[in-house]
Amino acid sequence: VTTTEESAPVLVDGGDVTDAGDGAARSRRWNRPAVAKVVYSLFGVAAAVVLLAPVLVFLLVAVSPRAFGQGDQWFTLGPLASVLSGSSLQALLNTAITGACAAVIATAIGAALALLFGRTKVPLAGFWRMALWALLLAPSYLEALGWTRLVERDGVLVGLFGTDITWLRQLVMGPAGVIWVLGTRGVPFAFLAVSGVVRGLGRDYEDAAGVHGAGRWSRLRITVGMLAPGIWSALAIVFAEAISDYGVAATLAASAHFPIATYALAGAVTDFPADYPTAAAIGWLLMVLVLLALLAQRTATRGRSYAVLSGRSRPARPVPLRGGRRVAALAGLIVFFVLALGVPAFGTVSASLLGNFGSANAGSFTMDAYRQVFQRSDLLGPVLLSVRLALITTTVAVAGGALIARLLARTGRSSRGRATNLLDLLMLGAVALPGIVLGAGYIFTYNLPAVTYVGIQLYGTLTLLMIGLVAGALPQVSRLLAGSFTQVQDSLRAAARVHGAGVARAWTTVILPLLSASLLWAWLLTFADRLLELPLASMLYPPGQQPLSVAVTSLIEGYDFAGGTAIMVVACAGILAVIGVALALFRLLAPAGWRRWEQR
Amino acid sequence: MKARIKGILLALAAVTTVSLAATACGSSSPTAGSSSAPAPLVVYSAQGYAQTVIDAFQKSTGIPTKLVQDSTGPLLAKVAAERSNPQWSLLWVDGAEAFASLDGQGQLLKGYEPNASLTAAGQAVVPKDKSYVPTGLTLAGAVLYDPAKTPNPPTSWQELLSPAWRGKVGMPNPAISGPTYPFVAGMMSQLGGEDQGKTYFTQLKANGLQIFNANPDSLHALTTGAIQLDLAQSSTAFAAIVKNPGLKVAFLNKVSLLPSSIGIDAKAPAAVQAEAKKFAEFTLSQAGQQAMLAGNPNGDSLFWPLVNGVSPRQGVPPLDSVAYQTVDPYVWGPKESEINSWFTNTIVK
Repeated sequence: VTTTEESAPVLVDGGDVTDAGDGAARSRRWNRPAVAKVVYSLFGVAAAVVLLAPVLVFLLVAVSPRAFGQGDQWFTLGPLASVLSGSSLQALLNTAITGACAAVIATAIGAALALLFGRTKVPLAGFWRMALWALLLAPSYLEALGWTRLVERDGVLVGLFGTDITWLRQLVMGPAGVIWVLGTRGVPFAFLAVSGVVRGLGRDYEDAAGVHGAGRWSRLRITVGMLAPGIWSALAIVFAEAISDYGVAATLAASAHFPIATYALAGAVTDFPADYPTAAAIGWLLMVLVLLALLAQRTATRGRSYAVLSGRSRPARPVPLRGGRRVAALAGLIVFFVLALGVPAFGTVSASLLGNFGSANAGSFTMDAYRQVFQRSDLLGPVLLSVRLALITTTVAVAGGALIARLLARTGRSSRGRATNLLDLLMLGAVALPGIVLGAGYIFTYNLPAVTYVGIQLYGTLTLLMIGLVAGALPQVSRLLAGSFTQVQDSLRAAARVHGAGVARAWTTVILPLLSASLLWAWLLTFADRLLELPLASMLYPPGQQPLSVAVTSLIEGYDFAGGTAIMVVACAGILAVIGVALALFRLLAPAGWRRWEQR
Repeated sequence: MKARIKGILLALAAVTTVSLAATACGSSSPTAGSSSAPAPLVVYSAQGYAQTVIDAFQKSTGIPTKLVQDSTGPLLAKVAAERSNPQWSLLWVDGAEAFASLDGQGQLLKGYEPNASLTAAGQAVVPKDKSYVPTGLTLAGAVLYDPAKTPNPPTSWQELLSPAWRGKVGMPNPAISGPTYPFVAGMMSQLGGEDQGKTYFTQLKANGLQIFNANPDSLHALTTGAIQLDLAQSSTAFAAIVKNPGLKVAFLNKVSLLPSSIGIDAKAPAAVQAEAKKFAEFTLSQAGQQAMLAGNPNGDSLFWPLVNGVSPRQGVPPLDSVAYQTVDPYVWGPKESEINSWFTNTIVK
């Protein structure tokens, strides 16, 4: 496939370029991987200490409650033993199963969408792409609320059809409904993880297979095989997101009396009195689940290389869809988005446009809540603060996430880098832990009397909130980018260096253009996510400086449910506008080479 | 390879610089400015009117005061997480049970009673050891209904067990909705004890009691007709009537007083405690009670003032017209965890 000596080993044995030197140079290079290992380990340790110590500290609370003022014992296994029995164990099992099913559903749909958008000319592609973003922005509780409002007793469907649809209610208000909602929430993540890989794949390998006589299904199998880094990345991230989701656990699953671990965990924290040791014990088990998911990912992609993006790679030319395929693709898209987006949209309408607590009567439709959004001067401060926080933390997180993605992509190809593996586990663990306990972990860590005694006064400052927001975003960013980084052959950068480019120049002129579109998407995604982040913000915001999400929650708590929801809708519309403008600017201003790998 | 390491180090340095610069400019403005001020008060509150009262307090005393506002659950979780090093000077939430528990942990300043002329109901909710300061009154277990659909509301708690109300009663889950536990505790208290109370709720469950996560859900069920009676906190019920004037509220014999209260951090420096006492005293002044009544007119402000000479908002009936009882938070506070998990495992299921 490739002819240059340097890049050949990358494709064949998955070894790093530096490991593949000729025999004469080997002895001289012997200690270089060791140096690299030390540097990477140091980076990993630094990142872990600054950003992820709270995860570890929170977990420590399970075995040493007294060290954090949460009980009498310095060391105990009681909380762990108690969550490994009875209803907690059942909740954990439910979590594992729903998480795995949601991950498979999300990845299947996400990969299909990625291939559809990446390889074919779908009618209305821009519209569907925006719909995906809207899907990403809609909180899971809105979709759960929408489903509930549709199928509940005396609900909308009963109003429409006159009869009670018991079987549908039982289906939706149960495990199947929970899995579907979690799965649809995961589709954008899966899409982004896979489409980064699809983007870099080109059509060369598929064409090569075609030339050698492979049929359509064989070609598809080869393509899907090469998508493996993206697919496994998608499975892992959706699994971690799904098992940490609270919106569905607290609504659909709770109404269905289908116990889920996050619900038990968050309950242990927010029910009075707060029981952090039990919450931490459940946190341990969620981490174990994530570890299993990571092991599966590792096993599946170990010993292979997916570096396909070389100097000769060309973006695939999208094929127009015709006839039956066009109809099938459109029908599939419509069905999916109506179910995944129409339902939460209905939930929003029900919550913010209908007066009278969301019961659908003629004449109860009102725009009052929306009119009031633009008359509230007290929200200006929270909006500006949240925008500032989101801009800063997103930029830092994307920069840091790109570095980590590079580490993950590099060490993913070789056996070394235990520190990197630990970093990966900790970061995915941070995804699996609900935000509120991550926030509690930050309080435990940075509010320890010993920590304040040595002069570290971080808790109660915007600095700690920003560190928390960055830490919360890093796992997603690095996972989303890892797929794209895996594809870049190091020979490209090496070639630039051979031709006299400095380190910075090699990066900015070779690597950056290839990854610019991925980086932009990761930035926009993270910005949207950080702007409305709630649980961390509510635990860590400095007195007197409410971020938007906290202010909106206060409104809802203050009995202004419609007003609060209306603000969320306006905020989401604002984010969509920002995304649209950013993408338009990228098309207009970025050099042509940068746009070459942009998803079409 | 070396160059690559150097590159990564450079990039790392850049990221660190950016984040440091970012955090520096983030924290420079308000937080750094306040650190030079003399010991600002930090109020943790779930009350919708807290900011209005704080503004009035600052105006009147000049003491810089900052608010952390959240719902009761996360707020108390935060207080618990900070236990080894509390950052709050004042905690201001509904429900005396939480304060009784915090008092049991030695987290509250005891023995302080502001100078104020309290009503009889107000005096009834002052704790013996004066470890917290009640600031306003609501009732747990108001019955909200729609007279158009339910012309004859029930007149006693026992009546809810009759076939006439089968499947028509709803309430929030006390483990999730903060102000619901005082209702459960109050029922148990007036029925003669925890066991009798558990029997009552088990019978209610057998008669089709529906449990919702929180208030918006049960209000929604009431308006769709999925339930006919919603057992709620009085301020929630009055707020619902403001939004939907067709609804009415009934108080059965008896309902329990549910005070909003202020606790002062036992570990705070003396200067901060002195300021905190001023804040508590301010809430019981005419100006303070008026600010509470004005701050969240369609929500938490629909309470009964407990200072003589201050009237509740329009639409809130006189407290004397209601048969109410007091519940000893020092008896029922310590049981909260056990009763809530019993409720979740037995009644919600």
